[in-house]
Amino acid sequence: MSLWQLLTSAFVLHAFYAITAVALAAGAVGYFVVLRRQAFAAHAIGHIGFAGAAGAILIGWSPLIGLLVFCVVAGVLVGVAGASLDDRDTVVGVTLTGALGLGVLFLSLYSGYANATYSILFGQVLGVSTSDIRTVALVSGLVLVSVVVVFRPLLFSSVDSQSAASRGISNQLMSVLFMTLLALTTVVAVQVVGVLLVFSLLVAPAAAAEALTSHPLRAVALSVGLALFSGWMGLFLAVWLGGPVSFWITALASLAYVMARLSDSLKSQRLHSARV
Amino acid sequence: MSVLELHNVGISRGDRPIWNGATFTIEPGTVTAVLGPNGSGKSTLLHAISGLLPIAQGELLVFGAKPHRGNSQVGYVAQTRVADATSTLTGRDYVGLGMDGVHYGWGRTKGKREAVAQALRQVGATGFADRPMHSLSGGQRQRIAFAHATVFKPTLLLLDEPLAALDIAAQAEIVDLINLLRVEQNMAIIVVAHDLNPLSGIVDQVVWIARRQVKSGSIDEVVNESVLSDLYGHPIEILVTPTGRRVIVGLEEEFAHPHPHGHDHSGEEGHQHFAELYEEGRQ
Repeated sequence: MSLWQLLTSAFVLHAFYAITAVALAAGAVGYFVVLRRQAFAAHAIGHIGFAGAAGAILIGWSPLIGLLVFCVVAGVLVGVAGASLDDRDTVVGVTLTGALGLGVLFLSLYSGYANATYSILFGQVLGVSTSDIRTVALVSGLVLVSVVVVFRPLLFSSVDSQSAASRGISNQLMSVLFMTLLALTTVVAVQVVGVLLVFSLLVAPAAAAEALTSHPLRAVALSVGLALFSGWMGLFLAVWLGGPVSFWITALASLAYVMARLSDSLKSQRLHSARV
Repeated sequence: MSVLELHNVGISRGDRPIWNGATFTIEPGTVTAVLGPNGSGKSTLLHAISGLLPIAQGELLVFGAKPHRGNSQVGYVAQTRVADATSTLTGRDYVGLGMDGVHYGWGRTKGKREAVAQALRQVGATGFADRPMHSLSGGQRQRIAFAHATVFKPTLLLLDEPLAALDIAAQAEIVDLINLLRVEQNMAIIVVAHDLNPLSGIVDQVVWIARRQVKSGSIDEVVNESVLSDLYGHPIEILVTPTGRRVIVGLEEEFAHPHPHGHDHSGEEGHQHFAELYEEGRQ
């Protein structure tokens, strides 16, 4: 089979659609993850979802349903409890370990084929079905529309919660909204890169974008662009050279982040020496 | 119409009274300094005016109406803005949020660009408005914060410790700026402060809060030995320097440890972050 035939085969095309939908949502939500310094929450939500997926497999349901339920419930809990707390990370951490404990229990009870759990951990984008794609596209679309609608109040609340409160914005509402969007994005991102590598699409592109530009809209656009680039190139390289898609996506996204940081520090060095 | 009218206002948190008996009015184009020891409830007054904290007794009118959240006539500059030191946002974008940050959806706000530019010009921040906030000095950030709080043209401006964490030169610049806003925009401005002296040249009225009581009046009416001794319950001496600065003797305890980063260590009588108060009020 030629490379072109491979690239246009049904399973690669399915992967391409799924990656595109996920990268759009993850790039946009990722900007707020970085801005709100909630990378740990982003990391934890995926792992919490893992417990849900393991539980769903155990009772014979689609892992997607378990992921969705656990991620959204955990997201809302963290959003409510951690809205104004200084020890937000503790809330996230306790929720995380509680859920992971459950995940271990579910796994130990499950005696079937372990492939399903493996794909939740590391992603199995080349195996997504048409109905999976429909779900991913629907959820990503919902996330994107929500981000557009709440963009300014969420940005305001993320940047300066005190001033936002004085102007009538509820930081609690913003926190719950944000965590719900993060949970939904995590659910779809897990389809592509798995719970362990969710960072690669949710945080790395946005963190790279934030290092490169200070303008919010430009940063979101750049973050989405980098997520799309890592996703598409990752898929292409996996088909061309072999290796798991999620490995290539993670490698490219991390590389983008390192390059952005290097360019940022070079820029500030140059500024500094220009001033001296 | 007065900007603010207080008749025998008292504020409690839970069952604990914070202070009682505040009676004063504030007129347009005036500067009112709110002074008193840490934890006496100075910021609490600003929270009550913003509608974030209900009053326990008396009557508080803001522009003739009960205080409510999100009042577009009231601008507020918080004590410490966590975002400042780390924010990669530019000053201009931050000021823009003051204009349309409360709006949902994608529609453009008419006249935003001009309003932001004008607010930045007003506070003398045009020159550094396009730099990320984390790269600015304390005084520059304070100017940006003023523009953020005035870009929607409020007529009452609440400033919580705007001089904290600034060196003396920057303090003087911010005091000039407060006066400018008062004169050019006819704003009523309430300034919570640790020290009256930097502000004494522009202050029309002083509100002094201590030991759950509130005294108000002109500087001479409030900052004198008999009123302050009465307020604190022990003898206070006031020395006036040849340049007119007042040195208050007998309050060394309160003023020996100012908190340069603006944190109000008022565990006893309850200082809370604005945002937390807001959520409490909603529940």
